[in-house]
Amino acid sequence: MQVFVQTLVGGISLGAIYALVAMGFSLVYRTMGLVNFAHGNVVMIGAYLASTFYLSVRLPFALAMVVAIAVTGLIGVIIERVLRPLENKDFDLMLIGTIGFGIVLDALAILIWGATGRAVPSPVRSAPLDVFGIRIRTYDLVVLAVAAAAMVLLVLFLQRTKRGAAMQAVAMDHEAATAVGIHVGRSNAIAFVIGAGLAALAGGLVGPLLYVSPSMGGALGIKGFAGAILGGFGSIPGAIVGGLAIGVLDSFAAGHFQGYSELVTFVVFAVLIMVRPTGIFGEKTVNRA
Amino acid sequence: MAAAAAVLALTLSTACSAPGDDDEDGGSGSGPIKIAVVDAQSGQLSSLGKWEYKGVKLAVDEWNAKGGIDGRKIELGLFDDQGDPTIGTNLARKIDSEGYIAMLGTAESAVTIAMAPILQQAEIPNITSGQSPGLTAVKSPFLFLNGPTSTTYDESLAKYIVDQKKITKIAMITNNGGYGKGEHDAFTKALADRGIKPVDDQVVTTDQKDFSAALTSIRQKAPQLIFVGAEEVESGLIVKQARDLGIKVPFAGAAPQGTPVFLDTAGAANAEGTIVSSPYLSNDVSDASKKFAADYQKAFNEEAELHGAKAYDGAQIMLTALKNSNVATGKELADAIRAVKHKGLLGDFAFDDTGVGIFATSIGTITGGKLVAAS
Repeated sequence: MQVFVQTLVGGISLGAIYALVAMGFSLVYRTMGLVNFAHGNVVMIGAYLASTFYLSVRLPFALAMVVAIAVTGLIGVIIERVLRPLENKDFDLMLIGTIGFGIVLDALAILIWGATGRAVPSPVRSAPLDVFGIRIRTYDLVVLAVAAAAMVLLVLFLQRTKRGAAMQAVAMDHEAATAVGIHVGRSNAIAFVIGAGLAALAGGLVGPLLYVSPSMGGALGIKGFAGAILGGFGSIPGAIVGGLAIGVLDSFAAGHFQGYSELVTFVVFAVLIMVRPTGIFGEKTVNRA
Repeated sequence: MAAAAAVLALTLSTACSAPGDDDEDGGSGSGPIKIAVVDAQSGQLSSLGKWEYKGVKLAVDEWNAKGGIDGRKIELGLFDDQGDPTIGTNLARKIDSEGYIAMLGTAESAVTIAMAPILQQAEIPNITSGQSPGLTAVKSPFLFLNGPTSTTYDESLAKYIVDQKKITKIAMITNNGGYGKGEHDAFTKALADRGIKPVDDQVVTTDQKDFSAALTSIRQKAPQLIFVGAEEVESGLIVKQARDLGIKVPFAGAAPQGTPVFLDTAGAANAEGTIVSSPYLSNDVSDASKKFAADYQKAFNEEAELHGAKAYDGAQIMLTALKNSNVATGKELADAIRAVKHKGLLGDFAFDDTGVGIFATSIGTITGGKLVAAS
């Protein structure tokens, strides 16, 4: 029982990170119908920026995160700007463009920060909580709280604000949206900025849990992407549930199958997707391809 | 399409030059002596590769400053294998065709094992920094190790932990990669030789991030000590998470657990008390290591560590063999390497038929955030 609960707790905190990554994937997909393959690499850049402002510039952790999110958001703008001429012209090229951006970001990170990586000490130094023998790290609680706040804000933005509604309209029918005066390019740019900001949030939060290195984007990107698919690609609540599910699934697979856990995680994932191809919150989402 | 064909033709022409082109330079003659360094310069294992290159470069610069060998300069060619065996095998062919007479590296056992048959065929002697027992299993007369194998590391460790400290309740956590598997098998055997079965034997993947399940299982078995067999970063994460889960017993392991990357990732306080089996505990153990560390600091403006020292020893052995044999190549050079008796930073090298030259490691513990010799 203790192993079970402890495994669950371990899975949830990383799951929350995967959920943030998944939300970035889903948001861009929802508004543009585009899978942003550079998203994992943007997470890595966000992690490096946050750790740099926190460790080298010595800003308080929260402030370092805010700066990192702003700078990473700017990278989102640049990616969208470069891809914009292709919008509605060549979808495949756009996809390949995002892959290219990922490679460029990796190379940039190695150029700026070197290939070795760095450890980020936890900003919360208090001892882990002990609840009936289950140990909960205080920093995990911070991660969960921040992730939850980000999720609520994003859902409110999409459902309650005019800008959010406009973005959804673009997703449904961009020609009709253009006709009623919605700026499609701006809507896409906002999606990319928020997506990149979420990536920076995930990267910055995960730094003290893991190790910041140029290759971290690959591992987080693939788990986040799997979370987004599992939840129902394009659905924001789906991304949250999917991300958490992948984290917990991973954690339990590690406990039961040890060295084969990665394999088991993705086999289970594949089976779930075969049974329900649209994911948990399956809705027929945009596909402008 | 035409462009693609042109690129392909170009790649092919550089990858394998015309027959008869082999060994035209580098060996006999009067040009520079060409030695290849193959190591990861990008990717997750690049820190190892960069340390390694610095160690080699320091040794070669020393020799070149003294006028080289036989009045010939030594020229290093650096190749990035990205820690990938497939890229390694391509590089093996490349260094053969480009006339390199010897190779130093890699730091990766898996890459070295992949390259070994090609290097053996091409008769290019290689001194590697890998430590997997699998390296000697290749049985190539052209392959040498600049340090001990995992078997030596873990035998020394078991001797200290079990024979000397009388600790018998031991849990293990290792990864399923090349290095972790070697450590797992070597340490399990060292324990079995002493009639001990680990109380828990957890295997994780090399890519895993959350170790709660494995560590909670270990915690319930209440071991006196946990053996960890994983690379620097993963070991650091394991130790950090173990402390968060309330595991207070010390960890023990081989070379990766003595590195600054491990210490940083785990956090100095969490790593305190870790028992490390290593042939090179610190820069302060002897006059030679102090001089090496000072030169290293001067050349690269950073602190020397085990991997640089290993590569430095390997390079010294290679250069001594070249000198002793009047810059021989192929089998003659390999025999010259085997004949070298070298007092190195890691210990006294004397190679046996398997290509291993050193059979002892020292035991250190992390005390006050630094690795010091164990009492």
